Amino acid sequence: MADEKQTEVSAAVDPERLVRLYREMVLVREFEEASQRSFRQGKIGGYLHVYTGQEAVAAGFLSQKKEEDKVITAYRDHAHALMLGADPKEAMAELFGKRTGMVKGKGGSMHLFDVDRGLMGGYGIVGGHVPLGVGIAYALRYRGSDGICQLYLGDGAVQTGAFHEAANLAGLWGRDGMCPVVFIVENNQYAMGTSVERSTANPDFAGKFEAYGIESEKVDGMSLEAVLEAGGRVFEEVRESGKAYAIEAITYRIAPHGAADFFEKYRTKEEVREWRQKDPIGLLEQRLLDLDAVDEEKLQEIKDEAKRTIEEAVRFADESEEPPPEELYTDVYAGEDEYLGKE
Amino acid sequence: MAIRETQRRHEALGLDEDDLLRMYRHMLLARRVDERMWILNRQGKAAFVISCQGQEAAQVGAAYNLRPGYDYVYPYYRDAGIVITLGMTARDQLLSLLARAEDPNSGGRQMPGHFSSRELNIVTASAPIGVQYPQAVGSAMAFKMRGEDGVVLACGGEASTSEGDWHEAMNFAGIHDLPVIFLIQNNVYAISVPENLQVAGRIVDRAAGYGFPGVEVDGNDVLAVYKVAKEAFERARRGEGPTLIEAKTYRMTAHSSDDDDRRYREREEVEEWRKKDPILRFKQYLHGAGVLDDAKEREIEEEIRAEVDEATEYAENAPYADPESAMRYVYAEEE
Repeated sequence: MADEKQTEVSAAVDPERLVRLYREMVLVREFEEASQRSFRQGKIGGYLHVYTGQEAVAAGFLSQKKEEDKVITAYRDHAHALMLGADPKEAMAELFGKRTGMVKGKGGSMHLFDVDRGLMGGYGIVGGHVPLGVGIAYALRYRGSDGICQLYLGDGAVQTGAFHEAANLAGLWGRDGMCPVVFIVENNQYAMGTSVERSTANPDFAGKFEAYGIESEKVDGMSLEAVLEAGGRVFEEVRESGKAYAIEAITYRIAPHGAADFFEKYRTKEEVREWRQKDPIGLLEQRLLDLDAVDEEKLQEIKDEAKRTIEEAVRFADESEEPPPEELYTDVYAGEDEYLGKE
Repeated sequence: MAIRETQRRHEALGLDEDDLLRMYRHMLLARRVDERMWILNRQGKAAFVISCQGQEAAQVGAAYNLRPGYDYVYPYYRDAGIVITLGMTARDQLLSLLARAEDPNSGGRQMPGHFSSRELNIVTASAPIGVQYPQAVGSAMAFKMRGEDGVVLACGGEASTSEGDWHEAMNFAGIHDLPVIFLIQNNVYAISVPENLQVAGRIVDRAAGYGFPGVEVDGNDVLAVYKVAKEAFERARRGEGPTLIEAKTYRMTAHSSDDDDRRYREREEVEEWRKKDPILRFKQYLHGAGVLDDAKEREIEEEIRAEVDEATEYAENAPYADPESAMRYVYAEEE
């Protein structure tokens, strides 16, 4: 029965598009594995959160971002930057804290920013970016743009007060068509070491939005096609209505929470193994083979190419210079010279 | 009388006539003290008043289920009806209003409405909206960890439910099945912002998101509030977890003595709600049930007036705190 549904969904999907997104997902996976290695080699400071297992969510939604749309997310943000078109070299250099990084080596892993491509960050405080995303959506309408804001957050962020205040406002402003925001709850089952069952007495994340007068749905976040379908439909509805909407993408963090989460005492090996069966990249490979869109050789070629790109990115990051100490106070405020009393 | 509530609803709730008269007295005392505070404010004797008027039924109906000094209460600034039900007096209220040394809440330091009593387990309020909720669930967690059957009553207005603190506390209460009751007195206005511009969706529905029940009740009907609160207290004592109660009521006065509500609401609306005055309604019920007659009603009024007069005089003549003591009561002191 699962097959039937997938065939139905994919009727509208063009296999070339799937291959293109497969390429992006593989690139992200490679990037994350390389960044994990580099972190353990001591080349990346601060902290690191990888996206492994969740690639279909960002790929499906971000590929439908329009020029005028904005994207905001939390600290698990490498995929979002890369899929919006950031150069893997600059992204990796940012993780390395190098001057050639996306934000001059001052943000690091958790604070990727790419205003030209609509990525409004990259935030380190759980839930802290949610009010910003709602404000961005309001600003888009207020300024007469047709854009919407894709607001990514994790299941843990939903338990924070900042989320609640923002969702309430999104519900209120949405009634007047003034809040074209799509809350994309990436439910990866864990808030660090706390499972969703232990972080809320009601783990129906989509359902929670009812309290704010916001409509919602759930989507299988491991299925690229399901994500594409939901995104295509919802984004246009929200663009039209200006009303907030929420999508709970059911996914799984195959990787540990962060670079220092070695033992994963909060979940069993069996559970991780089970979810690995649903690895979105694995599922997509099978799908592409079934569709005859690729053969094994082509898949290998894509992987090799991604590997080369990432190796080059790591080399670039490694060889780049660190920001000079004189830049310590620059890029802190907009119009910072005034703050610092400089000419 | 035009509207007679002929059913003796209180009997089904296990309340006898003495209970009813006590509840009535609590409501009336809260109202008369409040009215006196406005007069003192207009006379220039009191700097600030924040009222309970219109919300007495919601407060007394819920608080009548509390075991004073055992259960914990986190009132908000309008909850005069709650603290009076627990045993605070007209004197206590007026000493606080006039910031006298004997003020039991804070020795004349806090603003009016920041109730506090160690004996009655009334936890000192902080002025920012909604901060009582995380504290309240912490107390409820303590009851649970100690294996005691205490219940925590946490109160606030509808505006406080838009605060992040409320959300985090509700979630925490839900996860741990804590013995806490969130009593939201929805009085329609967040200072000047009406409910429909302040809350997306319905407050009572929000409980579902945290995995526990929410109950809406006519907050101007003291017996209806008593009933839903009783059920919530029993649930909590049985270890079945929290309940959200949304008591629909109305703020009959301006937000505070520093507010002019004519700028944001119609007089007709206020007049409509005055007809639903919870004290008027309860009085009608008591007459209908044969608990109160005109003579008894007058007698109670006179007793309360005497109590409020005495309290006013006492408070006005009471000394201010000694300046030497200004630095006390900031931190806990050795007993």
